[in-house]
Amino acid sequence: MISSLRRLFESRAARKLRRDNGALVALLVICVYLLVTIAVMCNAISLNDCSQVIGPKSAAGFFLKELPERRFEIARTSMLKPVARALQNSDPTAALADVKLGRWAVADKRLTQLQKIVSDAIAIQHELEKSENLDQAPELEPKLVEFERKTAELIEPLSRWDRLAQNAAMLLGTDAQGRSIFFRALYSIKVAIQIGVVTAVVSVLIGAILGAAAGFFGGWVDHCVVWLYTTFSSIPSLVLLVVIAYAFSASDAKETLLPVYVAFCATFWIGTCRVVRGETMKLKQLEYVQAARTAGFGSARILFRHVLPNTAHLMLINFSLLLIGAIKSEVILSYLGLGVQSQPSWGIMIRDAGNNGDVMSGFFWQIGAATFFMFFLVLAFNILSDALQDAFDPKHL
Amino acid sequence: MPLVEVSNLVKHFLVRGGVFNRVLRQVHAVNGVSFAIEKGKILGVVGESGCGKSTLGKLIVRLLDMTAGKVQFRGQDISHLSASELMSVRRKMQMIFQDPHASLNPRMTVGAAVREVVAFHKIVPKREIRDEVDALFAKVGIHTDSQEKYPHEFSGGQKQRVGIARSLAVNPEFIIADEPVSALDVSIQAQVLNLLMDLKDEFDLTMLFISHDLKVIDHFCDSVLVMYLGFVLEELPCRDIQADALHPYTKALLGANPVADPTQRHELTVLAGEVPSPYDLPRGCPFAARCELVTNQCRQEMPPLVEKESGHRVACWEV
Ligand SMILES: Nc1ncnc2c1ncn2[C@@H]1O[C@H](COP(=O)(O)OP(=O)(O)O)[C@@H](O)[C@H]1O
Ligand SMILES: [Mg+2]
Repeated sequence: MISSLRRLFESRAARKLRRDNGALVALLVICVYLLVTIAVMCNAISLNDCSQVIGPKSAAGFFLKELPERRFEIARTSMLKPVARALQNSDPTAALADVKLGRWAVADKRLTQLQKIVSDAIAIQHELEKSENLDQAPELEPKLVEFERKTAELIEPLSRWDRLAQNAAMLLGTDAQGRSIFFRALYSIKVAIQIGVVTAVVSVLIGAILGAAAGFFGGWVDHCVVWLYTTFSSIPSLVLLVVIAYAFSASDAKETLLPVYVAFCATFWIGTCRVVRGETMKLKQLEYVQAARTAGFGSARILFRHVLPNTAHLMLINFSLLLIGAIKSEVILSYLGLGVQSQPSWGIMIRDAGNNGDVMSGFFWQIGAATFFMFFLVLAFNILSDALQDAFDPKHL
Repeated sequence: MPLVEVSNLVKHFLVRGGVFNRVLRQVHAVNGVSFAIEKGKILGVVGESGCGKSTLGKLIVRLLDMTAGKVQFRGQDISHLSASELMSVRRKMQMIFQDPHASLNPRMTVGAAVREVVAFHKIVPKREIRDEVDALFAKVGIHTDSQEKYPHEFSGGQKQRVGIARSLAVNPEFIIADEPVSALDVSIQAQVLNLLMDLKDEFDLTMLFISHDLKVIDHFCDSVLVMYLGFVLEELPCRDIQADALHPYTKALLGANPVADPTQRHELTVLAGEVPSPYDLPRGCPFAARCELVTNQCRQEMPPLVEKESGHRVACWEV
């Protein structure tokens, strides 16, 4: 296996690939994605980071200044309102301790001080509320800034490390529930790559083994395999995916990625199976396979040592193609609510963005981040697959 | 008792296709071939490309299943042995293939390819495998250090030497060499042929030597089988083929070989006409359409292979 890989690396195709700049850039991009995946797997971003409320709802990314109406809304609701309510509680100290917004807590000040800030702020708030629409009232801008400063006084300043972490989390803004879009998009990379790799590995293995057996043994083995894949490929694959996902929705495995894996592997092996079957039929006629026969080797040895290794390039190309296929299908399934359940996923982010009316109201950060991250991953793999196909195309060798 | 005896071997390929995988037509690749090879002898098989020489070889080593007929090896009928029973026989019969590029697994070093065979048949104890293979490579004239190279790093001639080493690795008694040099440069053909003949003596081999070149066969073989469209037209000893040849087809083949002596030029027989298609064989002699001596009887009836003198058989009505 190792020597087979080494040979693949030193082959003419690999040298051709190394001369292909587009492919190298794509490979680099993929490596970056892989690094993120590894980081997420090492818990650099935990599931908790993705589901936690870290700040005001639907905040814009890159710390862009928002419209006055939104700024007013954020300043009013994120700290002022909960602090005001806590102060009215029968046990204000305990209630204030519970007021949290992500990393932010209520400033460590005496109750009377807090009370004072709140009443000042509410006074400014009343003045600001007199205006119908702050966006059209530039003359109120100084008042708004003052209001923001006042409400900020209610918040305990973050330590330097915490501020850094907070800024990172807020980089691409927050979604409608105040969760970090950046972290969710990054975590989705891991989900996508994990699903892509597992599906591609399993599908390629199943496809290659069935295809090689069909092509090599012929006869009833071939009939069975061909029957199997014509049957499977005559079912619209999305419908099959939906059916399998539904079938799992009642079981315990629903929360895991298992339904997604099963649904994808059920259809994805077909392409690999077809090409490996064809290649095996060709290889079977070659003289080194006949030589192996006259040497008295058994069929299993011939198949696994002399035939399958020579379809390695097809497996590699198919791996790359299936990986993109799985990632794209995962997004679609998750968008439909049938895919990933208890983890973030680009599909879920895109669905949320639509459901919450974010997109309608011009808040594009969530859908933008999801498509951006997905776009470059899929693009890189597409370029790589094309380059692989070119590199292994005998006509260009 | 001859080492290998083939009687009435027939192979029809069924070409399938269309709806429901019907049999569209039959290719009559080998039509009733019989011969025997004594131990230590080399029998040549000659004929134009497509006349069924490779098919004949593959039938004997059971790479293909025969339609009818019988193959005996050391008196044992091997035509119907099962895969497991074939194992021990296979060790004794090996094949050297025509295309050296296709006959080595591109993903295996040449050393690994030969070691695999030695290890599989437990020819020597495990510890001695390397030495055994080193010795084999030395015998076929490949530097022992080249063992860890892959086939694409070798020239055609070297690859063929590796192929020869691999087939000798199991200590066979009988070797079928299917045009072992026709894919090689003319300059190295002689080297490889000489190597093969040296090894034949060293390993005490019996050979079926397939070629389309009568000159080469005349030089190396004890007798020759002339095939045409799957039929044997003549079998004659290689003493003086030029003088002994009786069948018009054999004579035509001799003419097709360039002759060094200019005074003989005028005797050059040029083959005219088309080779009939192996799909629908003519009723009579297959060579009738191109034969100079053709008569009505030739077109009606296939001539039987009759023994003219000891070891010399001809299938022709006119000689
Ligand atoms: N697997 C096969 N299926 C169908 N026809 C075949 C097959 N192998 C060989 N043939 C046909 O059998 C005939 C003899 O082929 P072959 O033995 O390879 O000839 P040679 O080695 O003398 O050139 C040819 O007409 C060829 O087309
Ligand atoms: Mg041939």
